[in-house]
Amino acid sequence: MAALGTARCLFRTYSRVKNVQKSKQILVRCSVRTLCSGTQDNALLDRTKPQFTDPAVQDILTRITGLDLQKVFRPIKQELKPPTYKLMTDEQLAQAVELATEQAKKLLQMPPVLPERKPINDVLSEDKILDGMDTAKYVFTDITYNIPHRERFIVVREPNGTLRKAKWEERDRLIQVYFPKDGRKLSAPLIFKEENLKMVFSQDRHEDVLDLCLVQFEPDSSDYIRVHAATYEDLDKHGKYELLRSTRHFGGMAWYLLSARRVDGLIVDMLKKELLHDAVSLVSLFHMVHPHSESAQEAASQQATGADLLKIYAQKESQRAGYIELALQAYQQMAAKSSAA
Amino acid sequence: MVHLSSLLLKKYHGGYVVIRLALAGHKQANRPFYRIVAAYNKRARDGKYIEQLGSYDPLPNIYNEKLVSFNFDRIKYWIGCGAHPTKPVAKLLGLAGFFPLHPMMITEAERRRALTDVP
Repeated sequence: MAALGTARCLFRTYSRVKNVQKSKQILVRCSVRTLCSGTQDNALLDRTKPQFTDPAVQDILTRITGLDLQKVFRPIKQELKPPTYKLMTDEQLAQAVELATEQAKKLLQMPPVLPERKPINDVLSEDKILDGMDTAKYVFTDITYNIPHRERFIVVREPNGTLRKAKWEERDRLIQVYFPKDGRKLSAPLIFKEENLKMVFSQDRHEDVLDLCLVQFEPDSSDYIRVHAATYEDLDKHGKYELLRSTRHFGGMAWYLLSARRVDGLIVDMLKKELLHDAVSLVSLFHMVHPHSESAQEAASQQATGADLLKIYAQKESQRAGYIELALQAYQQMAAKSSAA
Repeated sequence: MVHLSSLLLKKYHGGYVVIRLALAGHKQANRPFYRIVAAYNKRARDGKYIEQLGSYDPLPNIYNEKLVSFNFDRIKYWIGCGAHPTKPVAKLLGLAGFFPLHPMMITEAERRRALTDVP
């Protein structure tokens, strides 16, 4: 019968993350948990349409994200430490680069893309005898430590006596009160308002916004989906795909554009940067996700690969067919020149 | 298996365990905050307790909510050991739906309604 005292109760670790970019490293821990809960939800959807979490889809998306080590490990704002220099042989250097690629892959883990959550409207009991018992609502949270946050009981007793389950926003807020997560604020930062988002996009800081959004909101909340949609729209409008190229958000952006069928800008950008394989894999992913479109059926009938896939897609599906064909020709000329020279 | 915990408690201390509200000494006047606590009966209200089982904030926040938290797993354990909840704790648990509604809650609600209806 030992006195367990305060060891078992609420943990109050309020470590305020001052810099946005620092939270990126903590995100790996957070995103692993959210990924696990995401796959449970996705299993319930129809299996005919390829989902975001399919291994084939994930494979293609990781490939087109690219692995630019210089960009992934670019200097983040941290404590100033004097740099360490090591003398290595070529083999050791190769090993160190391999280790760095492993770590970069972990940092580039894609955050889950989930459908929007349905609002909770469950009423547990209506007690008219308690009507007018108090002017404020009572919110009861279950702080048992070993339950996943999705299954926690959070109920609200209204002043008119109804006992109902708490809505999603209330749930998120209360779980943050009793089980605080690093970097998450109780009320959403003002950066996520429409006007402020526009200002941030004009400063080319889409990546920071997406990182903040990932820390602050749950992946299936309406705010998360709204902010991500606004970011991807803006990127698509201005063609600034390069900003997200070697980050963990590239897969999500590609998936969003695929579902909206607006991949033309992305393909043109890839061809300009001479990434033919990426463009081809993007088009094949498009055919996987939309198997009933004309270009998909055409490609399936002709068993086309490589540049022919792109030509078929350019003719059948895209609005900017001229652009894609021009870019393809330019790329082939460059390839011919470089192989000749 | 016979649960010996309640017998052990009595033999060791000669008292019984209660689940009650204890003021958390935040050294701030006019700002109460209660902890829901399992403690021995004869101990001071804010003194050494056995385990904290939750919290209760009697002042409503900006969303007009009074936040209450319960560690239901441990509350079940202590009630199984023979702990007695006090009246305010029983009222809160009744409001939460864990216990049946406390008769004094219903009386209070009726009295308040009488006050608001009459004038």
